[in-house]
Amino acid sequence: MTHIGIFDYGAGNLHSLVKAIEGADRSVSVDTDIRLSLKGDILILPGVGAFGAAVAAMRGAQGYVRSALADGRPCLGVCLGMQMLFDSSEEAPGSNVGIGLIPGRVMRLLTPKVPHMGWNEIEWVGSAKLPAAYFANAYVCEPDDVSSVLAWTTHQNRRFASVVRTANTVGVQFHPEKSSVAGRSFVNGVIDEILQCK
Amino acid sequence: MTLMNRVIACLDVKDGRVVKGVGFVNLRDEGDPVLLAERYEAQGADEIVYLDISATNEGRSTLLDLVRRTAERLFIPLTVGGGMRSVEDIAAALRAGADKIAINSAGVRRPALFTDAAKRFGSQCVVASIDAQRNGESWEVYVNGGREPTGLDAIGWATKCTELGAGEILLTSIDRDGARSGYDLELLSRVASVATVPVIASGGAGSAADIRDAFTRGGADAALLAGLLHSGITDIQSIKKALRADGISVRMAA
Repeated sequence: MTHIGIFDYGAGNLHSLVKAIEGADRSVSVDTDIRLSLKGDILILPGVGAFGAAVAAMRGAQGYVRSALADGRPCLGVCLGMQMLFDSSEEAPGSNVGIGLIPGRVMRLLTPKVPHMGWNEIEWVGSAKLPAAYFANAYVCEPDDVSSVLAWTTHQNRRFASVVRTANTVGVQFHPEKSSVAGRSFVNGVIDEILQCK
Repeated sequence: MTLMNRVIACLDVKDGRVVKGVGFVNLRDEGDPVLLAERYEAQGADEIVYLDISATNEGRSTLLDLVRRTAERLFIPLTVGGGMRSVEDIAAALRAGADKIAINSAGVRRPALFTDAAKRFGSQCVVASIDAQRNGESWEVYVNGGREPTGLDAIGWATKCTELGAGEILLTSIDRDGARSGYDLELLSRVASVATVPVIASGGAGSAADIRDAFTRGGADAALLAGLLHSGITDIQSIKKALRADGISVRMAA
């Protein structure tokens, strides 16, 4: 039995995520205390909308997450959860909210239409794993080292990293749990993959 | 490579059941929302919208229960609108499992609601729902289910909602609603040309060609469908096939 810990650091909707990854050989728990979430075999940082609330809830949790990831705990960050893996964000200037696992910054999208909302294609660097997914983001990740980028996505005049990976931590800018059948099978595949390389 | 055009299935919900008004009156029962939402996802719907037209408190709590049941079975985004009067109403809908909420009448009465909601939950989950009726050379915003004129110009109001924090505009033509004579392309293109957020066309879809026109001539990012789908005249898969044949980028169901 694999145990998945989802860290609930905001007021977002986690129902679909839980249902998307639940299975016969998996238990999923949602906790507002990071220490409980880290009792699982894998940590998920979900994508909630409110950055301000997320920053407040995340305060104090970064240290625990940082040391767990340094110890090799597999982790999946979704949307804002992916952004949290980086050093800093323009959405919270001056604050040092990021977990800092992946060197780089989170920047505001400066495209004519923001947010980047809807289904967009995913351009994989290696073998394609999911052709398209549902996005809802106004900020994008800018890794210092593009070798961590597994896939890119383009919105209007801006190309950005939509999937990143370092060791057994994966970040996805889109919402696999909102990307129908293909998204569910993708996210379950990612979970299996990062658990294996533990 | 860019965002695909979205086809959104809208279910008007009253006391937990689906209804679809024609010209905002003559409500007709169309069935169980969860079953319909699942069916539309399987057909390739990109999103689902529930517009709640319940007037009573009992209806409201029925809606939240419905959202909860839907969120556990639906794996595409769910927007919930109707009766969103306060940040507390919005928080309750999001907690129940909505991904976005649509603000209509309450946003006209208290525009700060858009800002409060965006600050607390993020712009990406705040949809400005605007019901517009043509009045000569312009369009006027109506509230309370399209019954009450506000004196607001629809194009100006759309811009204002975005400035206040809305991350998307759901633009319904009252004149075309239920008429199946095509979207109001003039209204659409006027709003789409000034909008800095995605615009969803609503009211009047009668065929795949109408939906194509909303994208190509109206400049819409997404098209909302209701009666056309519930009636069984066509389905989303057929519509998307026709759109694709016309060169529109849409996602096909797996």
